[in-house]
Amino acid sequence: MSLLLILLPIVAGCALFLVPRTDRIVSRVTGCVIAAITFFLPLLLRGDGTFAARWLSRPFTAALHWSCGGMALWLVILLALCTFCAVLATDMAQTRTMVALLLLLEGTMMGVFMARDVLAFALFWDLMLIPPFFALVGWGGHRETAWRYLLYNFSGGLLLLLATAAFGVLQGSTDVIGTAHQVSGAWAPWIFAGFAIAFAVKTPLFPLHTWMPATYADTPPAMISIVSSVQSKAGLFGFLIIGLPFFAGAMEQWKWIFIIAGLVSLLYGAYIALAQTDAKRIVAYSSLSHLGLIVLAIFSQNPIAIRGAFVYIVAHALFSAALFLILGYVETREDTRSLARLGGLGKVNPKLAGAFTIAALAALGLPGLAGFVGELVILAGVFQNGYFWPALIALVPIVFASAYMLRLLQDIFNGPERTNLPQRRDLTWVEGLAVAPLLAALVVLGVYPHAVLAAASVIGGAR
Amino acid sequence: MNAGSMYGWLDWQSVMPLFIVAGTAVVILLADLVMRKANGFVPLALGFTGLIAAAVVAGRSYGLARDAFDGGFILGGFAVVLQEIVLVSAVFSIALFQAARRPERMGGIVALVLWATSGAMLMAGAANLMTVFLGLELLSLALYCLCALAERPTSRESGLKYLILSSTASGFLLFGMAMLFGATGSVTLAALATPAATATPLYWLGGGLFLIGLAFKLSLVPFHVWSPDVYEGAPLPITAYMSVVTKAGTLAVFARFAYAASAGGAAPALLMPLFVIAGISMIAGNLGMLAQTDMKRLLAYSGIAQIGYVVAALAGGSALGVRYAIYYLVAYMLMNLGAFAVVAICSPTNAEEGARIESFHGLAGRRPLLAAAMTFFLLALAGFPPTAGFLGKILILSTNVSAGYAWLAALLIAGTAISLYAYFKVIRLMYDRHVKAYHGEFARLPLAYLTVAICAVLIVVMTFYPLTPSNVLPVVK
Repeated sequence: MSLLLILLPIVAGCALFLVPRTDRIVSRVTGCVIAAITFFLPLLLRGDGTFAARWLSRPFTAALHWSCGGMALWLVILLALCTFCAVLATDMAQTRTMVALLLLLEGTMMGVFMARDVLAFALFWDLMLIPPFFALVGWGGHRETAWRYLLYNFSGGLLLLLATAAFGVLQGSTDVIGTAHQVSGAWAPWIFAGFAIAFAVKTPLFPLHTWMPATYADTPPAMISIVSSVQSKAGLFGFLIIGLPFFAGAMEQWKWIFIIAGLVSLLYGAYIALAQTDAKRIVAYSSLSHLGLIVLAIFSQNPIAIRGAFVYIVAHALFSAALFLILGYVETREDTRSLARLGGLGKVNPKLAGAFTIAALAALGLPGLAGFVGELVILAGVFQNGYFWPALIALVPIVFASAYMLRLLQDIFNGPERTNLPQRRDLTWVEGLAVAPLLAALVVLGVYPHAVLAAASVIGGAR
Repeated sequence: MNAGSMYGWLDWQSVMPLFIVAGTAVVILLADLVMRKANGFVPLALGFTGLIAAAVVAGRSYGLARDAFDGGFILGGFAVVLQEIVLVSAVFSIALFQAARRPERMGGIVALVLWATSGAMLMAGAANLMTVFLGLELLSLALYCLCALAERPTSRESGLKYLILSSTASGFLLFGMAMLFGATGSVTLAALATPAATATPLYWLGGGLFLIGLAFKLSLVPFHVWSPDVYEGAPLPITAYMSVVTKAGTLAVFARFAYAASAGGAAPALLMPLFVIAGISMIAGNLGMLAQTDMKRLLAYSGIAQIGYVVAALAGGSALGVRYAIYYLVAYMLMNLGAFAVVAICSPTNAEEGARIESFHGLAGRRPLLAAAMTFFLLALAGFPPTAGFLGKILILSTNVSAGYAWLAALLIAGTAISLYAYFKVIRLMYDRHVKAYHGEFARLPLAYLTVAICAVLIVVMTFYPLTPSNVLPVVK
């Protein structure tokens, strides 16, 4: 089944290129159906659908090994949900090509999340970086953005490759994800560094984040909602499934570098988000800030904090996908993302304003929504391990978050109405349907976070 | 000498593939004389038949150890695999010739390609210095003519440049061989393994000159300056051919030399400079790619770096290293020939002219499948999954790491990072909507389309079924 989850979107994505270029209906329907299948398939079928086949026997053993259980299951259905919403929200020039890229992105990321073999993980890691590049080439406004995205992320991918080769040689096998066996030896910290840089670029983590704001601002909303929400989690997921079980020692050794980088990301992201006027960039920098908190949690190596990190991974994915999709709607209506030029949209677009409010409140950590649970559990865990100052510093950006999220809300939806608006219509039902599942999930997880916490406890136990 | 002793000093079976290829060339020339009306189809068909027959016959010797010319030529395992690579490259390259245009010249062209191929096949199994040189010169002489074939001034320049520079390199090689003979008293590569020989300065000097000659033929930096110019001027199918066959042939000689000398204990010190320049080639070759505006030059620089990766696999001298070098060489052959086939189709006028990068502008809008294929080959060259380039790099990295050549692995990663920009520059041009589409015509080359399809499929298959041939140590005895 896990192989099906990978191949189905990829094959469907390739097949969509056979549909006429101008098509808008067939491709979106196909995309939604495929995403829905990948959402329900792992839930309806019992078991973790392991697929394993021998791949290499020399110089180290490797297998084409995927399995959809525990944490991977959550990320898989999260990815399928976000893909569903993104496909539904795609309505632009060359819809067919975009939907095809979205499906390719989904399939390749399935391969990352379900990988039980480090080499298979690296294979799909490199693959998942390609669709956003094509989105930037095809729709992006600035040529430079695509290059910056490419050089940062693919250089990270190459380091991952080198680290994988060294890991395989040292361990004798890469078919090890899901087990725990600490790598020892003088090389271990350096191999971990290879993995960690790749993960830190993708997350992103200060100071490797400079590709991120431009990419997030320039990529079409449908694509970026998946990249920011789910793809950026691949790095954090990598820390959880490769870092903790194999390099706990190296992580302990270098924890201060990462904790400080995480704290700087937290503060710096929040601070820049306050100063930006481009709405998409504000959300992009807020992402940097939020993910810094998760890095802090992971490197504290506290079981409670790591559980909180996993909840926050899911929560952040949900509200960041929703925020980017809604900002995409705003942009199609107003032709601008600048806070200086937007204003008063709430009056004519009440549903749009309502949807945005829920997502923004989740992002600033309002109790009752999913973001709050993650933050609380993380801070409790970090504090428990004796990191008093980091926990205290991490509280500051949470205040900032309220400021920039409320500023977004205020400047876009309230205030004086702009004259000569290009287009006035509230959310169509398709547009509404595209964000509704995300918002519903935010509320459900905010009220009943136990489901995700239980999945995350499995990682705690695996350590 | 084994099974062949009943034929006296020559084991016919071992040289049969060579004779088939060279003989076919003669038949083609005769057929050209006999035929009344010039016809491009007959030489091509004969050429394909000869090459495929030779491939089948050579394949039957895999797993055996035949020899001929008093041990000067060895066929089995390693040599068979290298011969197959050369033969397949020859098949794919002559498929790119456009039979309809200037059919009266096809006979000569195909015959020369076959002779060059037989030279490379001889190098694949060469176990003494005489056969090495014989094979190399047979290959080179045919290529001098082939490079100068296109009707452009640059083509003649290409042929002349290749002639002069390559002859100089042959001079180095020959001088080095003479010194090695002086040091060991024997022309066989096996004699290099005797410890007594390695003590003399003559051995080191000769070995050094010999390796410089090989580095030139492999076009490793700093002996690479000829290759972009020659590649640019030569007819496109010949460029494609040279980019694989000369390198495969020379690599066979280098591997045999390296593994023979290894047994003597002197090898690591002697070979170290070559691994260093392989590392430099990975960086410099990829840097050189960045500024190119001609696809053939771009692929020439790419080839410089790619062959650096293959040579790096041999560092450490393990049996696994040879297998991975061969694996990557096969991958390189498929990626490179696939890319050249697309270039041949997209070249402005036809497959014999130059190939500016502009002809790829907006290709995705006009020929989406062709653009997708080119993207795939370039991604493979850059080492992206799911291609043999990706797995090949993993294999090379892991042998380097386990053999204590971590610095080569680091250089490989750095070089690949640089190459990303160059490969993606072409990919972006094909898909960029801001770029004005180039309206050139496409060559009608059905065989090239077939080549593209075969290469693409094999590259994916190789990734998930990584058959690295066992039993391929480049033995000298």
